[in-house]
Amino acid sequence: MAPAPDSSKPFDIVATYNELLRSDPDLTMPIAAIEALVLLLTHSPSSTISETLDLLNKSTEHLKNSIPNPIGLSAGTDLFQRYLITTLQRPGQLGPAGDFNAIRAHLLSNGRLFIRRAKESRDKIAAFGRGFVRDGSTVLTNGGSRVVASLLQKAADEKGGPSAVRFRVIYVLSSSKNVESSPGAEPEGMETVRALREKGVPVATIPESAVAYALGKADMVIVGAEGVVENGGIVSRMGTYQIGLLAKAMSKPFYAVAESHKFVRLYPLGQYDLPIEQRVIDFKTEEEIADEAKQQPQETTTETTPKSVARNSCQSVDFTPPHLISALITDSGVLTPSAVSEELIKIWF
Amino acid sequence: MTNPVDPALASSLSAPASEVPAQQRQSEAPSNPSQPQPSKESGKPKKEKKEAKPKDTKDATPATDGPEKLTGAELKKRAKAEKAARRAKEKSDREAGGAPAPAGGPAGGGSGAGAGGAGQPATPKKGQPAGGSGAGGDKGRGLPRRPSGQASGQPSAAEQKKKAEEKNVAVFGHLYGQQRRATVAGAGKEVHPAVLALGLQMRDYVICGSSARCVATLLAFKRVIEAYATPLGTSLSRHLTTHLSHQITYLSTCRPLSISQGNAIRALKLAIASIDPSVPEADAKGTLCEFIDSFIREKITVADQVVAGSAAQKIQDGDVIVTFAGSSLVKQTLLSAHKQGKKFRVSIIDSRPLFEGKNLARSLAKAGLDVQYSLMNGISHAIKDATKVFLGAHAMTSNGRLYSRVGTALVAMSAKERAGGVEVPVIVCCETVKFTDRVALDSIVVNEIADADEMVTTQPPQQVTGLPDPAAAAAAAAAESSSDNKKKASKTPVPPTNASSLEPNPALKHAPSPLKDWRDTPNLQLLNLMYDVTPAEYVDMVVTEMGSLPPSAVPIVHRMSTSL
Repeated sequence: MAPAPDSSKPFDIVATYNELLRSDPDLTMPIAAIEALVLLLTHSPSSTISETLDLLNKSTEHLKNSIPNPIGLSAGTDLFQRYLITTLQRPGQLGPAGDFNAIRAHLLSNGRLFIRRAKESRDKIAAFGRGFVRDGSTVLTNGGSRVVASLLQKAADEKGGPSAVRFRVIYVLSSSKNVESSPGAEPEGMETVRALREKGVPVATIPESAVAYALGKADMVIVGAEGVVENGGIVSRMGTYQIGLLAKAMSKPFYAVAESHKFVRLYPLGQYDLPIEQRVIDFKTEEEIADEAKQQPQETTTETTPKSVARNSCQSVDFTPPHLISALITDSGVLTPSAVSEELIKIWF
Repeated sequence: MTNPVDPALASSLSAPASEVPAQQRQSEAPSNPSQPQPSKESGKPKKEKKEAKPKDTKDATPATDGPEKLTGAELKKRAKAEKAARRAKEKSDREAGGAPAPAGGPAGGGSGAGAGGAGQPATPKKGQPAGGSGAGGDKGRGLPRRPSGQASGQPSAAEQKKKAEEKNVAVFGHLYGQQRRATVAGAGKEVHPAVLALGLQMRDYVICGSSARCVATLLAFKRVIEAYATPLGTSLSRHLTTHLSHQITYLSTCRPLSISQGNAIRALKLAIASIDPSVPEADAKGTLCEFIDSFIREKITVADQVVAGSAAQKIQDGDVIVTFAGSSLVKQTLLSAHKQGKKFRVSIIDSRPLFEGKNLARSLAKAGLDVQYSLMNGISHAIKDATKVFLGAHAMTSNGRLYSRVGTALVAMSAKERAGGVEVPVIVCCETVKFTDRVALDSIVVNEIADADEMVTTQPPQQVTGLPDPAAAAAAAAAESSSDNKKKASKTPVPPTNASSLEPNPALKHAPSPLKDWRDTPNLQLLNLMYDVTPAEYVDMVVTEMGSLPPSAVPIVHRMSTSL
């Protein structure tokens, strides 16, 4: 699965990461990052612990800097680094005194194990979260989260079984510009909509502007997350925050679904305190637009336009503060937002 | 410093008959120089030094000429008369005792912690002449440095109690307990001079602020341990704990112990208890001193740096930071953010009677920050353009609430209620040593009541900037610039005969407070609370050395940091 540049060429972590994400649609960003790091270790002939850690640090930095939104990714790299350090500090054969080759082999095998477990966690979450989708309820969801999709599908699978759950889904599809600019592409989440409909779940799709209107018909909101931050809030695709606010205003339960490897050591104080730069709000005058238009034809127009648009609308994220979230459904159980910091502290200390 | 004291010592040794009266007089004499205390601000060790100097010389002089002029009977008579006079003067004396509070308060600084600690070894030497020797405790009792000596203090304390009862605010009745100790008199002979001095420094807010008090206590206890010798028939690990308990009891009569002090003491006692009895005493003491040092380093010094570093990251260019009173940790945070070249403005909100924000304002302004200083009354204005609120903590309770200087809750609430609470994050800077497993639901059940007289005294205007010496200010009642005063301070002690003829308090004189006679005014009660409780909803983030936490994570971290 490694793109495996031959040994003469230096290992490109960014390319590997992107390749991994592209090749496996089920892969989340943190896991892709961890996998890329494991591959990096297999490819690099480091022979000492400090060399390994140094290499890891540098590549992580490089990776973070070259990805526009490194929040989800950093959860993975931090976790892996932490895991490495604790493994190395452990006394015994695999500790600092042990044979480094053995340590390395152990690390790599454990790293793979970690990745496998992380992939399995989605099923675990679905098992936990299934109970939240009750018979006769209507669920409002958004985005293209694979965890939410697997949770809903799992709930739908039950149909016909002993615990038949009949539920309906209101799916918020982003009516963003990229649909118009590239008409071939369908909005994120359409795949899930189809899969659910196939299973006999009635799905209604609404634009983002209709959330407030539709929420009255919904019993609960389930959203995915790109990262879960220390105070129990979530960093998620643009539009989640407003759904959270609306759900709070209408006192509908708001559940966030996330694997525990998405827990990030990050503490945003508000929307504009995220460590990434987003140009969502971009003030312009007519003059500036004209200037830009003049500049653009000189560049390769076909390349830049869709990309920048995509970055603006699709990849941008917002922060949903913890007081809007009723519970987080994770693979380590259903947590209140305040329990997230406990989980994070457990991982880190 | 020791020179002026020595004659007194010598005389008391050579003329034992005259010892008691001489002391009576001594206790009278220092009462005057300490009266003008309110007229100066934020002493810390420096002030202590200046203050002690005139006192010591005065002590020395009457003692030396005592035996040659007066017979024992005469002295006794005189002492009696003085006693009577003292009773009448008692009230004003007490005011003097309470008055340093508003003055000495703003010591909460990180420098306060360091300075307080540094001043520690020096002060007891002055205060208790025979500090190092084994008889230190007795000497300490023999030379009361504070107004209202024991003899005169006792009877009036009873009637004062009666009066005080009706002056207590009923809701807070359970908090009054015993009054803060007025002198070192009556302290057990086991109490180490360093601890004696520390108690008074804490009472007078010379050492103020949770971490500063914690560090100073630990340093004092280190001296206690160094001077400690295990009595025959016991082991260090068993006896030292009880020996420390005497010190702790004394300290808590001076001012109720802070949470951080309690946590530090608990850790120290645990360390003592875990010492193997077979370990030689010197080794055990060495281990304990090392333990104290590393505790201060890990839990406070380094923790402060870590907290300041990570809290400073939250400050961005163009921010307007609102802070309340004078937290040393907030100061460190703001300074380190400033050092990183961030451009931001600081708005300090302060309140009576401690005015802890003044020192913060001064040191921030000195460092080149843009500072706005306003009192609590101006909160709604100050909070208007705020972008972040940084608060210090006295303690964080297990239900995530912030227990801090009274007024903190108001600041946090103003920030949160201003615009729906989303825009102005409230950030608390707090070391984990201040975490407690107690739960606070309101600020009534657990709180501290300070002397209500602190609220009565009005501040002389020069207090804002200058640090006038009390003795100098008393001698030269006319207002003088603070720089002059410093020079004067070294001269004034020379004429000791002035001592008895000193004016009461110039500061009190030219600004008589309407509340001055509040104890005799019927239907009037004063309440001087020290702390309040900020609900967890008003706190967005607690920055600790173990990372940034939501307030709900306080009990988890507390559990982890204590079980380690």
